[in-house]
Amino acid sequence: MSGSTSPAPDRNPQIADGRDEVENAPGADDPGRLSGPAEPAVPTATAPRGAGPLLGPYQEAGSPSPALTSQPPADWAGPPATAMPARQRLHPLSPALHGAKSLVVVIAGLSWSTLSRVGFGWFAAMVIVLALGASVLAVVSWYNTGYQVVGRELRIHEGLLWRRSRAIPLERLQAVEVVRPLLAQLTGLAELRLEVVGGGKTEAPLAYLGVAEAAALRQRLLHLAGQPSGTVPAGQAQPASAGAELPRPPGRPLHAVDNRDLLVSQLLTPQAFLLPFGVAFVATQFLSEGSWSFVAVASTLTAMAGVLLQPVRRVLDDWRFQLARDEDRLRIRNGLLETRSQTVPLHRVQTVRVTWPLLWRMKGWLRLRLEVAGYAAGEADERNRPDRLLPVGDQPTGEMIVAEVLPGVALSSLPLRPPPTRARWVNPLSRQVLGAGLTEQVLAVRSGLLTRQLTIVPYARLQSVRVVQGPVQRLLRLATVHADTAGGAGATAVDRDLADAWELAAELTARGQAARRVG
Amino acid sequence: MSGDAAEVPLPAAPTNPLEPWPDTVRWQSISTDLIWVELLRLAAGLAVVAAVLGVGWALTSSWTFGAALGAVVLFALWRTVTIFRAVRAWGYAEREDDLLVRHGLLVRRLSIVPYSRMQFVDVSAGPLERAFDLATVQLHTAAAASDARVPGLRPAEASRLRDRLTALGEDRAEGL
Repeated sequence: MSGSTSPAPDRNPQIADGRDEVENAPGADDPGRLSGPAEPAVPTATAPRGAGPLLGPYQEAGSPSPALTSQPPADWAGPPATAMPARQRLHPLSPALHGAKSLVVVIAGLSWSTLSRVGFGWFAAMVIVLALGASVLAVVSWYNTGYQVVGRELRIHEGLLWRRSRAIPLERLQAVEVVRPLLAQLTGLAELRLEVVGGGKTEAPLAYLGVAEAAALRQRLLHLAGQPSGTVPAGQAQPASAGAELPRPPGRPLHAVDNRDLLVSQLLTPQAFLLPFGVAFVATQFLSEGSWSFVAVASTLTAMAGVLLQPVRRVLDDWRFQLARDEDRLRIRNGLLETRSQTVPLHRVQTVRVTWPLLWRMKGWLRLRLEVAGYAAGEADERNRPDRLLPVGDQPTGEMIVAEVLPGVALSSLPLRPPPTRARWVNPLSRQVLGAGLTEQVLAVRSGLLTRQLTIVPYARLQSVRVVQGPVQRLLRLATVHADTAGGAGATAVDRDLADAWELAAELTARGQAARRVG
Repeated sequence: MSGDAAEVPLPAAPTNPLEPWPDTVRWQSISTDLIWVELLRLAAGLAVVAAVLGVGWALTSSWTFGAALGAVVLFALWRTVTIFRAVRAWGYAEREDDLLVRHGLLVRRLSIVPYSRMQFVDVSAGPLERAFDLATVQLHTAAAASDARVPGLRPAEASRLRDRLTALGEDRAEGL
């Protein structure tokens, strides 16, 4: 549906007009990221269906010569008759949004101390200049960014000097997410993010598209992704109702989190709990010293806000959290200022993690997270790892959701066995908590004295098994078994009895094998 | 010392905790030439440190430099011993469905990587390794933590292993 609406004007960026140096200027938020040098982990531009010469100049990183880059239109004018879909631009308003975003970054980057040093007038001037620069970059980057769906691939072209055209095979798609920041909500736009294995960060953020377009594209991509990958059972065959807007998460609603519970749960975090003490401490410091310089106060307030940021963010992010199941996909929708709606195919779930934070135990609450292979462990910004399955909920809810995601797993009756008593030499307090157990389909591992954690890994998702024995463990005849999964940390059964560890490893290997055979 | 031990099963070591399933697994050790590679690497690294310390000692004649130099020498001796043992401890085994790799003395590690989970195989050989006619094979899975690296293989054995791994991987390909 979203395939061909415009005839995609041939992009012939004449870059000989002195805009060269703007492309990689520092300080720009998104444009810089888009056009940065290609990271090695990313599959660059494979050119299938013999399109070699056609993609030529777009394909390789580092073709800075204007003579080279201004060639392509002749080829692009005549795509092969086999419906090479037109290349589409992002929404024309996206540069404005990027510009606004970089304004915030600029202000944050300049910080309070700059403000006090240069005075307000200069500060404003600096902000304006930088923001203008960023906006120009955003426009240039928007002009040079396009996407198209070719066969079972999504291709994204970007960059002015360092051209990059990236082909994303859709069978590798792990999850799709539609994100709508506040500004985008006001303007009716949305960002589409695809998670692909092997990317160091979220691949291909298409920012921004119109909402309807984003929904249609997501539907189409998921449809393409789900088709004949062999492992997916029937139920994928429905024709994608492309173009149809999806106001609610479709499918069977599983659970909606009560906003009050969410608020309370975030008040029960160490940050919120300890904040009054922090405030009191800082206030007494100031009072005793009697120095109330503007910068000191402002910086303190900023620091305070930084501490509170995480709970506040969680509340904002998880507001109106809704979970639904649509055939074999999970649909998650949440957010107050920035709404996200995420779609995860169930067979892409690598790990489910259940957490019981200390302060939540009086309420009997727990939190569920899921790991999908796409979300790189190295992602610094935890917020960009939308791995929530349940931000807060009670035991029965958690049990129900776990059973839904991993059929046949009962959260309360997992056969967990503690390590042998001599493990208390290494884990004097937490030995009772530690535990590992095998059920028919999953490995479950429990750990953590204060923040209790249970990790559940389906055998079918195991990538490798490791047995590690440190020197102290050798003295005690203990060993640790790691079950590695793609994405996330996997599960670690600490300090098992040596024989037990071997048995666990052998069992995991065999069961993983069997689970893969079945599919 | 340059005996090519790639095909010889390790002498029986029944107490070794890294041999969990002695009856089903036939461990292969790696070439002992790797000892020389590792020793040279160690020597190169330590020579620089020792030179700096030596110059410092000569210039200032402060006893701290002497002590540091002594420490470096002790460290070198200790490492030399461990290198000999560590290289002998390194082993791999190809089972029907998975590759086992074990290594480490202080911290002992055993990795079990199913062929079907293989994403790609690296064969690499640095200049030092090439000088001793050795290569390293590394098996990558989708999990970053997977640790299946086999150094110190003869090039022929390395390419045989690589070809076998890729063939088996294709057979049983599963990916994620």
